[in-house]
Amino acid sequence: MTPFLHTLQSSAFSAWVVGSDTIWAYPMILTMHTVGLSIVVGAAVIVDLRLLGVGPSIPLEEVKRVFPIFWLGFFINLVSGVMLFVSEAEDKATQPVFLIKLLLIAIGVVVTARIRRRLFGGGSPPMRAASSGRTLALTSLVVWGGAIVAGRLMAYLK
Amino acid sequence: MDPFSAWIEATRISTVMRDTTWLWPACESIHFIGLALLIGGAGYFDLRLLGFMRRVPVAAAKAFMPWAITGFAMNLVTGTLFFVMAPHMYVLSAAWWAKVFFIVVAGMNAMFFETTLGTRVMLLGPNEDTPTSFKIVGAVSLFSWFAVLFFGRMLPYIGTGN
Repeated sequence: MTPFLHTLQSSAFSAWVVGSDTIWAYPMILTMHTVGLSIVVGAAVIVDLRLLGVGPSIPLEEVKRVFPIFWLGFFINLVSGVMLFVSEAEDKATQPVFLIKLLLIAIGVVVTARIRRRLFGGGSPPMRAASSGRTLALTSLVVWGGAIVAGRLMAYLK
Repeated sequence: MDPFSAWIEATRISTVMRDTTWLWPACESIHFIGLALLIGGAGYFDLRLLGFMRRVPVAAAKAFMPWAITGFAMNLVTGTLFFVMAPHMYVLSAAWWAKVFFIVVAGMNAMFFETTLGTRVMLLGPNEDTPTSFKIVGAVSLFSWFAVLFFGRMLPYIGTGN
């Protein structure tokens, strides 16, 4: 694993990302990662709040439209995140707070997918915000908030 | 350093906060959670103003605005703390002034909507397309908030003069 990580980190691409002076390298990738964050978590928050009873006059069926936005943000952050990881692969792979962030994202994706399945999986009309939906929504809010904090702390907890 | 920044940085409150090493990362974490609430809540309403998700009544799509405003308030408070801790990073930064400019644009745009077009929201039925004026307000809002995010994140990298 380590030689592979070393190859990634010492690649020409990594040298460009972290070493070049242009704002189109590291700063722009980092900014795209923040744009993606706002879309991913923003979309998740909308779904979660609706399940928790905010905006009751929004038809639950229409919440379905928010999921493609969620996945758009997720795609942006998968691509920008892989670029950021590759450029510092050896350092990041062993950074505990980064691994915690990855775990929280994995849980967040599972919870979000489960919310979608619960709402729209059965072909029957979406459930009214039942208590299980509330638990999933609260879990989602906590987990995505945690992922943001872990991501931010990557700059401080080496 | 400019005299204004030097004066703020010499104050007791600025010094004490800077010496509290966990405060900066804590504020950053809150700032990023705040931006997600703001973009999520405002962005959802902006998309409806642009004519997406037409089965959602425009008035109903506004339900998340208190959460967007909460996010903005979180970021105003944490942003002010950043400024007090390190004013020279901001007052001399072109990116910061661009960020402030787009916050003002977004704020004025929202105020324009509330004071002139906002009352027409209630007249709009479900499944109805939005008038062009609504679409412009939605587009300006969406663009401005992402511009705020862009210049905020780019702050350490562009227009710092060093």
